[in-house]
Amino acid sequence: MKKLRKWSRILHRDIGFFFIGTTILYGISGIALNHLSDWNANYSVEINEFNTELNLRNNPNVKENILVLLDKIDNSKNYKKHYYPNSHRLKIFLKGGSSVTVNTNNGYVRAEYLKRRFLIYHANYLHYNPNRLWTWFSDAFAGALILFAITSLFMLKGKKGIKGRGGIYTLLGIVIPILFLWYYI
Amino acid sequence: MKKIVFILVAMAAIISCKNETKKTEAVQNQDEIAVVETPEILIGEFDAKAGEFVNKEVKIQGIVDHVCKHSGKKLLVVTDNGKIHVTSDVRFDDKIKGNEIALVGTVLEDKIDESYCLKMEEDNIKSHSEGASNKEQFENKKNHIQQYRDAMKAENKEYISEYSLQYVSHTIVE
Repeated sequence: MKKLRKWSRILHRDIGFFFIGTTILYGISGIALNHLSDWNANYSVEINEFNTELNLRNNPNVKENILVLLDKIDNSKNYKKHYYPNSHRLKIFLKGGSSVTVNTNNGYVRAEYLKRRFLIYHANYLHYNPNRLWTWFSDAFAGALILFAITSLFMLKGKKGIKGRGGIYTLLGIVIPILFLWYYI
Repeated sequence: MKKIVFILVAMAAIISCKNETKKTEAVQNQDEIAVVETPEILIGEFDAKAGEFVNKEVKIQGIVDHVCKHSGKKLLVVTDNGKIHVTSDVRFDDKIKGNEIALVGTVLEDKIDESYCLKMEEDNIKSHSEGASNKEQFENKKNHIQQYRDAMKAENKEYISEYSLQYVSHTIVE
């Protein structure tokens, strides 16, 4: 038992140090992605609304006026594509995910500028498992989490360990998801 | 003996080169056949023509208006004349938004009938009561369900078909 306790501490400590960065990263993006209905987890959105007198109705030469509009509010070099969702609405796509919509009847313009959220965008990118190499690393991390759980059972002895307070916490941590499942499924 | 070995090696090399050429030609031919066989449908005509291509591959071309922010596996591809929903097994990078793409996908048919509407209604109420959707989203969905019912009534049918694409491949159109 002494040997098991000793190795549990060593593994928990050393592998824990190794995965500190990854744990924080997954924690941050976990909260961010849990609230996708409430906010844009990857980008902050800045809205700019104004009116234009440019003729942006659907015609073969409209691109010239679109570029003029973009130079006024951003940079025409950021133009990607445009289309008309209906007869009086124009949508222009810009590089970087931003877009501009125009009511071609009354000239009302609404520009949505997207800016990547610092750190959260990158954390989300990794959380979504972008490639095979990251799959291996994140599998190793998931395995390490299981190892942390198991080793934590043996790390301490006495009333703070699994036979005391630790046991109560462990039980609570197991009961809560079970209660949740029981209630909702 | 050396000469015989040399001749055998030379012959083997020539034969392997020939086979290689044939293989390459065969692959090229297959590719050509595959490209020729995939029919292209204009997005504006998709709803009218998709019924003829259910479970078959078609090619479309349009601008990516939207990438699902939740899963990253749904696209809305649009032109001035219409839109198509595309679902995929792989995630799309949101940089694809605003690009014009040529996309090959398999046509899927969803049959919307009264039981489907009832299920949608139930899900809509449940998600709203659990706080998963706000009032605006709840009302939009409610109106959407009513539109299905109105369409069934107008066409005097027990169901209406909605078509979408299951993603196969795409290329960016410059």
